Amino acid sequence: MPDLVWFVIRRLLATVLVMLALSLAVYLIFYALPADPARLGCGKPCTPDRLEQARHFMQLDQSTMQQYLQFLKGIVAGRTFGEGAAAVQCNAPCFGYSFPLARPVTTLILSRLPITASIAIGAAVLWLIAGVSLGLGAALRRGRLFDRFAVGFALVGVASPSFLVGLLAILVFGFWLNMVPVNGYVPLTDSPVDWAWHLVLPWVVLAALNAASYIRLTRAQMLEELNLDHITTARAKGAGEGRVVLLHGLRGVLVPIVTIFGLDLGGLLGGAILTEKVFSMQGLGELLISSVGQLDVAVVVGVTLFSAFLVILANLVVDVLHGVLDPRVGHA
Amino acid sequence: MGSEVVSAVSPTRQAFRRVRRDRSARLGAVLVVVLVLIAIAAPLLAKLEGQDPYTYNIGLLDPLRGNAPRGAVGGLSGDHWFGIEPLTGRDLFAIAVLGLRTSLFIAIVVTLVTTVVGTLVGISAAYFGGWYDAVVSRLLDFLFGFPSLLFMIALGIIVPAGFPRWLLLIIVLSVFGWAGLARLIRNQARSLVEREFVEAARSSGSSGWHIVTRELLPNLLGPVLVIATMAVPGIIGAEAGLSFLGVGVPPPTPSLGRSISDSIVWVYTGADPWFLAFPGAMLFLAVLGFTLLGDGVRDAFDVRLRRTH
Amino acid sequence: MPEPRKTPSETPVLEVHDLHVTFRTEGGLVPAVDGIDFAVAPGQTLAIVGESGSGKSVSSAAVMGLLPSNADVKGEVLLDGRELTKLTAEELRKVRGNEVALVFQDALSALNPYYSVGWQVAEAYRLHHDVSKKEANARAVRMLDLVGIPSAAQRARAYPHEFSGGMRQRVVIAMALVNDPKVLIADEPTTALDVTVQAQIIQLLEDVQTEFGTALVLISHDLGVVAEVADDVLVMYAGRAAEQGSVKDIFYRAAHPYSLGLLGAMPRVDVPPKHRLTTIPGSPPSPGSIETGCPFQPRCAYTERVGERCITERPLLTPRPGEGNHEAACHLGRRPEIAQEVARTGIQENAAPEGAPLQQSAAQESAPLEHSAAKAEGPLQPSAEESAL
Repeated sequence: MPDLVWFVIRRLLATVLVMLALSLAVYLIFYALPADPARLGCGKPCTPDRLEQARHFMQLDQSTMQQYLQFLKGIVAGRTFGEGAAAVQCNAPCFGYSFPLARPVTTLILSRLPITASIAIGAAVLWLIAGVSLGLGAALRRGRLFDRFAVGFALVGVASPSFLVGLLAILVFGFWLNMVPVNGYVPLTDSPVDWAWHLVLPWVVLAALNAASYIRLTRAQMLEELNLDHITTARAKGAGEGRVVLLHGLRGVLVPIVTIFGLDLGGLLGGAILTEKVFSMQGLGELLISSVGQLDVAVVVGVTLFSAFLVILANLVVDVLHGVLDPRVGHA
Repeated sequence: MGSEVVSAVSPTRQAFRRVRRDRSARLGAVLVVVLVLIAIAAPLLAKLEGQDPYTYNIGLLDPLRGNAPRGAVGGLSGDHWFGIEPLTGRDLFAIAVLGLRTSLFIAIVVTLVTTVVGTLVGISAAYFGGWYDAVVSRLLDFLFGFPSLLFMIALGIIVPAGFPRWLLLIIVLSVFGWAGLARLIRNQARSLVEREFVEAARSSGSSGWHIVTRELLPNLLGPVLVIATMAVPGIIGAEAGLSFLGVGVPPPTPSLGRSISDSIVWVYTGADPWFLAFPGAMLFLAVLGFTLLGDGVRDAFDVRLRRTH
Repeated sequence: MPEPRKTPSETPVLEVHDLHVTFRTEGGLVPAVDGIDFAVAPGQTLAIVGESGSGKSVSSAAVMGLLPSNADVKGEVLLDGRELTKLTAEELRKVRGNEVALVFQDALSALNPYYSVGWQVAEAYRLHHDVSKKEANARAVRMLDLVGIPSAAQRARAYPHEFSGGMRQRVVIAMALVNDPKVLIADEPTTALDVTVQAQIIQLLEDVQTEFGTALVLISHDLGVVAEVADDVLVMYAGRAAEQGSVKDIFYRAAHPYSLGLLGAMPRVDVPPKHRLTTIPGSPPSPGSIETGCPFQPRCAYTERVGERCITERPLLTPRPGEGNHEAACHLGRRPEIAQEVARTGIQENAAPEGAPLQQSAAQESAPLEHSAAKAEGPLQPSAEESAL
């Protein structure tokens, strides 16, 4: 499909432009920081000499624009702070260097990302499956008990802040029933079973809440879809009820679901961060919050931009998927 | 209901009638009214109870149980209607009602700000159309799908220590909240602009200002009200979330989100789950009330909010 | 005129006896079809005519078992002697699209926007034939080619929105014919199309009918189309048969005032004969809303002539002069001389220079000779034919 290839290329270019604009904006905003990172990093007796040295080492003596270009260069080619034996190497993609933690920001992010990503991706998969199938069931059993249950559940889900439900779940399943672990993270590479076992509660909590709006959406769209003429056509062709609902009905509902999912990606990351805190996992959110406390601006900027890039890229994927799913969306 | 009555009633009043007839909307409306009254009267209620949210009552804590409240139900008593906070012994009822006050105050101010900004941007985009609309729409899509919670946390680093945090919360929530409203209002306004009466007004030489204020705004009041009402629970949740993460209202100002955050350790250990129950229920009821009311108002005004393109 | 006529030896492939359809709603039972009979033989065309709400589409949906679950269907639907209303869901599924196929009014909404047309035609085939996807696709392309889609192999990969209205309707017809059904039900197949395209689609339906010997049930309110393709006509009013008979019976010897009204010229006794009416005043009642008397009575100009009976007694289908099975449900019929007068007046009005449906259709379509000949004989023929009976 050459059309699709062009569509992807054009969207990719647009995405890069958005990322550039965003990174510049973020850079300008965060370098209005009232505190001076160099002062924090210059050691106890902070003589003007040492301050100047630190400033030079951190490349804070350059103009904001120069620093920004250095930052961009770092992402593409890596960068080096200081000279000679004391030089600190930050390999590409370098999202900055945390002097308080003496680690490249990229390394810090990569150490935390698996936790946040495990929560977010697992929950998203779970809620898409649960939300769509419950919504579908509700639509097919419209007005019956199952429908009322699903609609009621969706309402409570929409109205519940995730951290609140997370804590309730810990209380009930972790403390009272003592069924599942309530905190801690085991890397997937250590033990996939323990990994999943520790994530069960966060996944279920985050998924249950987000599934709510997908139940509502799937139910409403499916009811609309099942009234369309082409559904009658499918029946008139001799398609069985299962085929009619899944192949002809649900197929049309996929497009709005994918659209909404694209819009929810940013919220997914936020939800994962709240969930991290509830279940005491040291993910990206914890890194960000502690860095704000430490006035570690390099990490704050790095984490923020990295996450934003991630969401923007994921959105690109959703956009392309949308184009693939709906033949009426012009790639031209 | 006689037909002559119907014809004399404006669509808005008809909508309110419908809200009153819808059972879950009525429940929502009652919840909202009660909670708003509690929020307004919170200092009075605390006084009525004879407590304030700042005084430590170390004597009511049990040092053997890690300073959890003495007595059942989190130390609930005639003096402390919701019990007390573990570790400090502060009165939980005062914290809950004043925390609700903080939450609702911030949520309502943010709703007003985002509604005004969202309406202006949404209507102008729909009215002018063309490249302006295209650019605004892209920007709105972008902002809407943005990991805003992350940014709200990150912004904390550049704000001077002396800057009032509640104002920062309002600003941050408004900056990231208006896009969602503007998107919906733009879509509503767009469908109006395409209708004939706007075209008629345009071709008869009415000024843009006239069309926007006399033709578009009155017809958008219903949808805007619906969209604003439906935005409130999200804002309450976001504010509580930020406070929960420790970047919201700073102590000692009571905050539901922060109390819930503080309760984590007491829930983990099971030492005092009641510390979660009262602020949690308060927050849940506030979000539920506005959600029910929002759904009811939407159904009553029969506004179809297209979240899809 | 070599018109195909139903000969008595041809046994009908689809027979419907005393069909009743009632919808259970919150407001109580709503009858939609109130006892109709029809039959259609292979290679023959039955047209069901009536205003919207007269129950014609509900009847066809009832035949296919496609009514929603709140519909009660009573009566017999026999396909080759097999009772369709008694079949299990799975048995009925095997009949749908295979032995009885449906062509819808609006091809754009009838096709699934998310699948290529080739896939959709092939799906219809695979649902009833145990073949590979490849074979089904080849079959789909052959059908698309047969219904006149240019470069069918390539176009099969296109989506419905990439076709014009006429081409889309061809796709729907290809999909309906892919299993070589015995009966094809076409529900207003040309209503959504441009006039020039309408003629092409009707031509296509006639061609495939000739080629496959399919029995065609054509639901339409376009009498021009009906005059062109139908062998028999059933005129429905308020869920009942107002009149039925051969196409000539209806067009030349219409005995029911409603049929005459549909023909575009209902004469009224209180206006001068030259004055031509083209619409029936009022709107049809919902089926069952008129408990006693003739459902058409409130809109009928002949009530005064007949008198009380129109209000108190429900007219039953009674034989009328014609080619055999001509029947009408009208009290007027008991006075043949009036019916005849009515009929003649109607036909004269029909032959008026413009406005009448027959005339319109002649102008619209590339006027098949046979058709215009039929019209030319219009005013002259009836008395001769009637005297023959």
